[in-house]
Amino acid sequence: MATAEPDRSDGPTPALLRGATFVWPGGRGVSDIDLAVQRGDIVALLGPNGAGKSTILKMLSGEVTPQQGQVSIFGEQHGPTARRRIGLVLQEPSTDDLMSLQETLQLHGRLFGLRGGDLDRRSLDLLDALGIGDRAQDRCDTLSGGLRRRLDIARALLHDPDLLLLDEPTLALDPDSSMAIWQTLHTRASAGAAVVVCSNDTVEAEHNADRVVFIDEGRLVAEDAPSRLTANLKSDALELDWPDLLDADLDEMRRWSEVGDLLRTDHGLHLTVDSSAEIVPRLFQTFGSRVTGIRIRESSLRDAWVRIVGHPMEPDNEHGIRREA
Amino acid sequence: MIDFANASLALLKRDLRAVARSRSQLYSSLLFPLMLLALLGTGVSSGLSPTSPRILEGDYTSFLAPGMIAMTALFSSTFSSAGFYRDRESGLLRALLASPHSPQTILFGKALSAILIGTAQALTVLMLAVVIPGIDLAWQFGWLGGVATVVVTILALNVMLSGLSLLLAVRIKTMQGFHLIMNLVLFPLFFLSGAFFPLDEVPTWLEAIGYANPLTYVVDLLHYASYADSPDGLIGPLIDGLVLGALALCLFAVGLRRAPLAV
Repeated sequence: MATAEPDRSDGPTPALLRGATFVWPGGRGVSDIDLAVQRGDIVALLGPNGAGKSTILKMLSGEVTPQQGQVSIFGEQHGPTARRRIGLVLQEPSTDDLMSLQETLQLHGRLFGLRGGDLDRRSLDLLDALGIGDRAQDRCDTLSGGLRRRLDIARALLHDPDLLLLDEPTLALDPDSSMAIWQTLHTRASAGAAVVVCSNDTVEAEHNADRVVFIDEGRLVAEDAPSRLTANLKSDALELDWPDLLDADLDEMRRWSEVGDLLRTDHGLHLTVDSSAEIVPRLFQTFGSRVTGIRIRESSLRDAWVRIVGHPMEPDNEHGIRREA
Repeated sequence: MIDFANASLALLKRDLRAVARSRSQLYSSLLFPLMLLALLGTGVSSGLSPTSPRILEGDYTSFLAPGMIAMTALFSSTFSSAGFYRDRESGLLRALLASPHSPQTILFGKALSAILIGTAQALTVLMLAVVIPGIDLAWQFGWLGGVATVVVTILALNVMLSGLSLLLAVRIKTMQGFHLIMNLVLFPLFFLSGAFFPLDEVPTWLEAIGYANPLTYVVDLLHYASYADSPDGLIGPLIDGLVLGALALCLFAVGLRRAPLAV
């Protein structure tokens, strides 16, 4: 979470969507999105692939204009002034293989009106802060995926934006790169920048965002602090391999007071419970070896998603998980 | 205005650097026309002994030179356009468009690079044609006026090709599709431009296609300014200039206006 409290009342709302709707020609998109991101906020847009997170980010960045509703950036409609205050990180690394890291930042700095010594200093400081200062003169085609991503972040931060929009900035990155990126985002948020991050990583969102917005099938389903979204969950989550699970078994378990949400899966059952230490022995006492496997973890935002949205967010969708009432 | 100029210059610098670092692209743009001059020019001059009055003293290599200058611009434009597709596919174009500048400014900056690079490469071939022994350019209206006309013609050609590339990018979404169009449309147009053979000595139907071809007016103007020793048999600078100028301005303006749809 952000380490300091910036003044959130300072000026107009950095990013505001009101009833924003945008539908792509294929039919996908988002509908009736209301979202306000304040200074110092780190907001995670969480949802499965194709849910509409990137479309929301594109409306905020000005890449697309809502077909209905409104978007405003620091109280103004989109235009050069708004774009000057935005730092954008696209979903895929977008570097030019033929340029060095320093040249990449020089180009983008000049497009944002930076010049000379100031641009040089900012570029090198940022590369250093993101742990790639020693690669400043190397060409981008020599960088790993993680280092390219850090360069994308450096490029987005170069002009010191007040609003950062990042589309899955840590996707498929090594832990060091992810940590470096999140540390940088927290630092910027502490300094008063508003940060919006698209993600489908529940763990990352839970640990780093001040606010999480669940997006599913183009709609905003829930929005709150991660701690509030997970507040009413049972403490542990269990995934059971149970090939011959019967409706009668589910009826039996629904009567157990320690059991919260139940979800049947292709392979068995997903459930949340008060205490796995108490429920696991009871499971085996009652159902014996019919339960062939068990995985236990603490309940998390992932389970809050299931509870609120009604189906899992991960590719489990394709595995036919359905919620048991 | 200063912002616009700075953005264009920043993009120009980047694209020039990219071309300088793509050595194979740079060399092939220059070497292929020179290779054609050397092999096709010598081969036809010696092996076929052309007798057309438009090919002065049967020297096909010299006749070919203006066409090769135009071809260099065409090649360079193709490579520059491929760079546009590469930037679009890599996401770099989206990153550039996230800057405070309008899409037209960014695309103008990229087009400016393509125009200058294409012109520089074509003029390099011109310089080589001037210094290579055995290539005789008559410069019928003087060396200075001839070179100035060639420079303006090549600039206009590159402006036209940049506009065409921007328009193609709106319709064609992949680099493979772009190359296919280039191979299927532009190269036949080039072959029918008078660069390889005089159009006034071919069958009428072929001549008609030739005169409907914008590149014909480019090659004619280049012949007029550099190779020919008299205006006889040429379309002439007035019509060439009008056709080329109008097409270049129209295609570039429309391309720039519609190109944001290609991003």
